[in-house]
Amino acid sequence: MRQKPPRASEPTTAGKLPVVITSLLLLCGLLAGCGAKADGAPGGKIELQFSWWGNADRAEVTNEAVELFERRNPGIEVQTSFSSYNSYIQKLATQAAGGNAPDVMQLDYRQISQYASAGLLLDLDDRPSISTGEVTSAMLRTGQANGEQYAIPMGRTSQVMVYDSARWQRAGVPEPEFGWTWRDWSRAMRQLGEATDRTGATDPGWSEDWFEVWLRGRGKSLYTDRGGLNYDAADLARFWRTTNELSQRGAVSPARQTTQIDGSAANMPFGRGNALSGFTWDSAVGGFQALIGDSLRLAPLPVGPDGTPGQYFKPSMLVGVSADSPHPEAASKLVDFLINDPRAGEILGVSRGLPVNRTIREKITPSLTGLDERIAEFQESLDGELLAPPSAPPQGDLALQTAFQRDYDHVGFELQSPRKTAEQFLTNARSELQR
Amino acid sequence: MVAVREPVPRRRVDWGRVGLHAGCLAALLVMLYPLAWLIATSFKPADEVISSLRLLPSRLAMSNYTTALEGVGGVSVLRLIGNSLIISTGAVLGNVISCSLAAYAFARLRFTLRGPLFALMLATIMLPQHAVLIPQYIVFNQLGMVNTFWPLVLPKFLATDAFFVFLTVQFMRGIPKELDEAATLDGCGPFRTFFRIILPLSRPALITTAIFTFIWTWNDFFLQLIYLFEPEKFTITLALRSFVDTSSQSAYGPMFAMSVIALLPIVLFFMAFQRFLVEGMASSGVKG
Amino acid sequence: MSAPHPRPDADSAAAESAAGRNRPRRREGAAWVFLSPWLLGAAVLTLTPMLVSLYLSFTEYDLFTAPKWVGLDNYVHMFTSDPRYWRSAVNTLLYVLVAVPLQLALALAVALALNSIGRGKGFYRSAFYAPSLLGASMSIALVWRALFNDGGTVDDLLSTFGIDMGGWVNQPGWALLVVALLTIWQFGAPMVIFLAGLQQVPHELYEAAEVDGAGRVRRFLSVTLPMLSPVLFFNLVLQTIQAFQVFTPAFTVSGGRGGPADSTLFYTLYLYDRGFTASHMGYAAAMAWVLLVVIGIVTALLFRSSRSWVFYNDKG
Repeated sequence: MRQKPPRASEPTTAGKLPVVITSLLLLCGLLAGCGAKADGAPGGKIELQFSWWGNADRAEVTNEAVELFERRNPGIEVQTSFSSYNSYIQKLATQAAGGNAPDVMQLDYRQISQYASAGLLLDLDDRPSISTGEVTSAMLRTGQANGEQYAIPMGRTSQVMVYDSARWQRAGVPEPEFGWTWRDWSRAMRQLGEATDRTGATDPGWSEDWFEVWLRGRGKSLYTDRGGLNYDAADLARFWRTTNELSQRGAVSPARQTTQIDGSAANMPFGRGNALSGFTWDSAVGGFQALIGDSLRLAPLPVGPDGTPGQYFKPSMLVGVSADSPHPEAASKLVDFLINDPRAGEILGVSRGLPVNRTIREKITPSLTGLDERIAEFQESLDGELLAPPSAPPQGDLALQTAFQRDYDHVGFELQSPRKTAEQFLTNARSELQR
Repeated sequence: MVAVREPVPRRRVDWGRVGLHAGCLAALLVMLYPLAWLIATSFKPADEVISSLRLLPSRLAMSNYTTALEGVGGVSVLRLIGNSLIISTGAVLGNVISCSLAAYAFARLRFTLRGPLFALMLATIMLPQHAVLIPQYIVFNQLGMVNTFWPLVLPKFLATDAFFVFLTVQFMRGIPKELDEAATLDGCGPFRTFFRIILPLSRPALITTAIFTFIWTWNDFFLQLIYLFEPEKFTITLALRSFVDTSSQSAYGPMFAMSVIALLPIVLFFMAFQRFLVEGMASSGVKG
Repeated sequence: MSAPHPRPDADSAAAESAAGRNRPRRREGAAWVFLSPWLLGAAVLTLTPMLVSLYLSFTEYDLFTAPKWVGLDNYVHMFTSDPRYWRSAVNTLLYVLVAVPLQLALALAVALALNSIGRGKGFYRSAFYAPSLLGASMSIALVWRALFNDGGTVDDLLSTFGIDMGGWVNQPGWALLVVALLTIWQFGAPMVIFLAGLQQVPHELYEAAEVDGAGRVRRFLSVTLPMLSPVLFFNLVLQTIQAFQVFTPAFTVSGGRGGPADSTLFYTLYLYDRGFTASHMGYAAAMAWVLLVVIGIVTALLFRSSRSWVFYNDKG
């Protein structure tokens, strides 16, 4: 539909709209004399803004780590701010559009391409104060766009199947282990559906995330390295046909339940107790643990027909520095501190997923207990088994993620055939991606 | 209204009125059920909050409240409520003053462009706020007001809530014109007419404006999210949202508890001010 | 009178002659003084951003890079090749037609009842307003879902009568109604405005009507309704405008997605999705301006109709 501007020639024009509006207002003579905001805190201190998403628990440890950073660096004051994920995405977008992005910001995998290509992020390759030696190159690649390092992953997470082992055993269904295929999975679902009064799993057809794992198992992927689509309508139709058939046989959750999924454990058919398993990210297992209790177990996702694993280690979140930050050096120092400082690593623990820094991860793993320990063990069991993660999804993927869930509703409620819906989704996807 | 001055024979049961009471109570029973459920849930132990659909908790769990009272991110609940109070009170002052001024001009004064300007004012509420969010943010950022309470309060002093301007206009137009004509004949200019005659008679509208502004500002999560950065400046409504982070472990019980806590100040505010609604015209001593 | 368009002629001429020899010049100056806060606010905080969004509607703007002029592309795309756009428009229209009349009727009925109820007025007023205090908080969304879900309270209740619906919020055919019900349930604002309006009705009129031998119904029709008409008109116009822009109830109940199967995807919900999730702010701005024009037309029609049924006291 529309052409994307050539990136390289585009200077960092993030501030264009603010300039337009300011001059409009200046024309009215209303703002004369009102300068932009002053930089820095009183007393010659450098003031940094650091914002992130998360809950109260994460806030507590983050503030503690930040205080330590301030003590170590008496010339720097850090102002932190946080909100829940959905609010955060909206708030950060508004701030960035207004030319007021925080100096240091936590970023999602799906935001990297967009923020980087808009020139909002500082290229961290040029920052000697940030050391990345302790992070694997596969992991580092997730923070790259167009070959430059725009963000550093903080923690890692992986797809996981959570299930109620007690009920699986009672139904006589063998518990899954690494290497089971999607065919094995389907069989297990049907058995569970027949042997119990619940469905075998939350229908995975609703999410692009699980489609991606299925796709990678077949040697394909969502996107090419250049950001184009790397699958066709037949692939998607096949995936949706499979899940939808299982849903109609009562093997996985019905559309009436699947449609209510909103990301929270409490609204997943598995979390509600209507299904006996579900796919999720290991960083979100805690929500299910609270609802399911002690019989909750973690298992790897199914692999492709030839044994190719689809799941991968993904950054649970990344951290980047604003290109407009007046204090890039201080901001880089904070980033380095959050990633590499041993003491900070201890304080932050696994609040942002298992740390990507190898030394810190090894150091804190033995002290983990309960669920954290099981998640660490789960990740350890996959170390070396998985393929490298895909590079950061292209701009436009964020829109496709919601479109995917919306479109699957039409399949689930039998308003449209899987084939037709898949074709529509791909038409839409192509126009989103080539903007 | 119908029954206000009805000459009811003494000592006889007024069945009509009894019926009214019965009807209202029955309606309330249905209407308030969800609220009761909300309050009851705030006392449920963690495992019942989501899973149990029964109204009453199996045992009273105060832990939701103790967690909620700790506040969010090191900011106490009192601080959060205090911030909400400052913003809402400022907004009430702003709206009551600025909207009544503008409304008087539209309702009673004749000036060129009155029609077009009135249409323009209405048009400002016809555009969804999401479309102007970013331009507005840029304006406040250029004014250096981001991360202060100003973006939440200043617009109210500039009558940007056309809802209340229009509301007040409609009420002022219900005030008999003979009153200000008499004042004009007595030599009152527009300013004195406004302060002496119109403003006192517009009390129902002003009280309504005050009540709605307070409650709506209190509950307005969106603007608070965009403009407030430091947790120290967060409001109770903003904190309420921070409790539920669907991407990580969530705490629904404390969220319900905090909902109830956040509700208390506006309940008190409404109960304190609603009685002025009754007194409006009656106590202003005006007879047609 | 007072259509949104100027009819200064008849109206103001009548007013001025009635007021005798007033000083139009001084009034003109005074008017601008009274208007000055609004003028300043409109210029800086509302009209400028509105004009900016009008400009953006002709661009491709991804929030972060400079807007790119694309002419009418956004409008063309919207009308010709975006089925979800039309879905959202139809949903919104249905919602307006269901929610506005029901909410207003309920608010008026309760206001009339409370106005004549005598003892306990304050209690009732607070109690009926209570649901509206909640706004659209997350917790009310959870409550609503618990009530109208599969196996929820309402289902439970109905199943004792042998009716099994299998939930309401989770079915494309019913979800819109459940969201509308949330708005209707929160009828406190129009109710309070009706109550305030009823305060303005002079008792003398009822007494006069009574002397003329008018019964309850007659008094309601010939005194209450005309005297209340400016307020009724206000509620009708504002509730209609707000209903066209319905966002929060659907956003919270459907988790922001407008499901199931797009059945609660309202206009502004889709606009928000386009603007902030998909970063097509230019497209979102175009959607906003189409909505403004539609609401503007509907409002103008309401104003036109108001000439025949709204009674103002200020007709000199």
